[in-house]
Amino acid sequence: MKKLLDYSYYPGCSLHASASEYDLSTRELFKALGIGLTEVPDWFCCGATPAHNVDELLSLSLCAKNLELADKVEGDMAVACASCFSRLKTAQHVLGVSEVKRKQVEKAIDAPVKLDSNVKHLLEILAKDLGLERLAAAVNKPLSGLKVACYYGCLLTRPADVPNLDCAEAPTIMEKVIEAVGAETVAWTHRLECCGANFTLSRPGVVIQLTNAVLESAKAAGADCIMVGCPLCHGNLDIRQKEIEGVYNTSYGLPVFYLTQLIGISVGLGADKLGLDAMMVNPMPLLKEKGLL
Amino acid sequence: MTKKKMIISQETMDVDFVRKVEALAGTSVRSCFQCGKCSAGCPMATFMEHPPNRIMRLLQLGQWQRVLAGRSIWYCVSCETCTTRCPNTVDLASIMDALRKLSWDSDGASKESYVQLANKLFLQNIRTYGRQYEMRLAAVFNVKSGQFLKDLMLGPKLIAKGKLKVFHSKNKNMSEIEKIFTRIEEMRKKGVAL
Repeated sequence: MKKLLDYSYYPGCSLHASASEYDLSTRELFKALGIGLTEVPDWFCCGATPAHNVDELLSLSLCAKNLELADKVEGDMAVACASCFSRLKTAQHVLGVSEVKRKQVEKAIDAPVKLDSNVKHLLEILAKDLGLERLAAAVNKPLSGLKVACYYGCLLTRPADVPNLDCAEAPTIMEKVIEAVGAETVAWTHRLECCGANFTLSRPGVVIQLTNAVLESAKAAGADCIMVGCPLCHGNLDIRQKEIEGVYNTSYGLPVFYLTQLIGISVGLGADKLGLDAMMVNPMPLLKEKGLL
Repeated sequence: MTKKKMIISQETMDVDFVRKVEALAGTSVRSCFQCGKCSAGCPMATFMEHPPNRIMRLLQLGQWQRVLAGRSIWYCVSCETCTTRCPNTVDLASIMDALRKLSWDSDGASKESYVQLANKLFLQNIRTYGRQYEMRLAAVFNVKSGQFLKDLMLGPKLIAKGKLKVFHSKNKNMSEIEKIFTRIEEMRKKGVAL
């Protein structure tokens, strides 16, 4: 079958381990929507935050190498992880501005840098390439009555001139996508605040404090659940939620969905195809209550 | 922290270091006019002994040793809020990267060890496996940081949920990643890259 759209898919390290349900639900959702994904062969880690934190040249070189590998597969690059997305876009931006750095990177990877390839986050593909109308037309089970807190975190939109996904300070792309499949969205204060990201390994105390503020804000706004597009945000909000409830002696009980899981439910995919059993905060009671599964 | 008197003079101001930071970060330290917007929006400012705007002021005064000695730069989480909001388009997040790199290269100039250890293990994993191996990263971090019981209860739950993979396959093109690391090392040895 000829696909509607075709992409070279860069899942990133987390999607092969701690975020395997994001990988599964992305592949299943895109299959259901008629969008082709071909995984970039033998992709490497993008270097994420640790590489650019201490070694910019390494970070840029790893990203440039991945852009080169992705170029062997037809189509724009589809990236699921907000951090990989940010790193690849940053590399293209920095290497476009600085000739000195570009020459160093070309020496490091022994190949020309691909500055013109289109790197797109899944949100962008759903909202812009596929389009909200076609997305809405694919819905079999509208998410009516489900109140979603859309959590952008840091790297989907910041800094203003790099990811170009949406406005850095007042984005709406997540809300538009999830409203297109019938959900309600809540207005809340912490949708762009940091969750503590990779400090979950080195300084979990920091994550507990920052992520608690995010959960508290979503709960106060009356959300039933949170939607994310980043495996690090997910790890902190979902995996550490129970621990946070203990530390602050409170109860949130907020299931944290990847955007592909929620949209997957709306197009009629079953729980087994969306990896819902991998979530630490069990979403089943909520989904049953809303008549969605 | 005990307060040490700061003496500003030609002898104590090291501007060459600041030039290096500017070259690495591709942005201007001098453009900062101390509005404090970066510190106001910084989610980590409460954990730092020097909030972002003070780091900028110390750099302008050439007092970089004070900046590197503390843990502030290692407590920056790279959320890019400062860079997004700076009215003078100072790319403060890149300045933080540059400061960490210079501190990293001078080997242990800072007191913050956990974040540096996590970074080191992360980069080692890339060189050895091509990709991140989260299980190994967490396990080795706990051993090397002496926190054997950290998140102990979480591990088995994550394995049961399929979120931690006990086995990990290597990329087929591992020689290519090794070449990237060695070429960068060679460039630095020759002094043609920072």
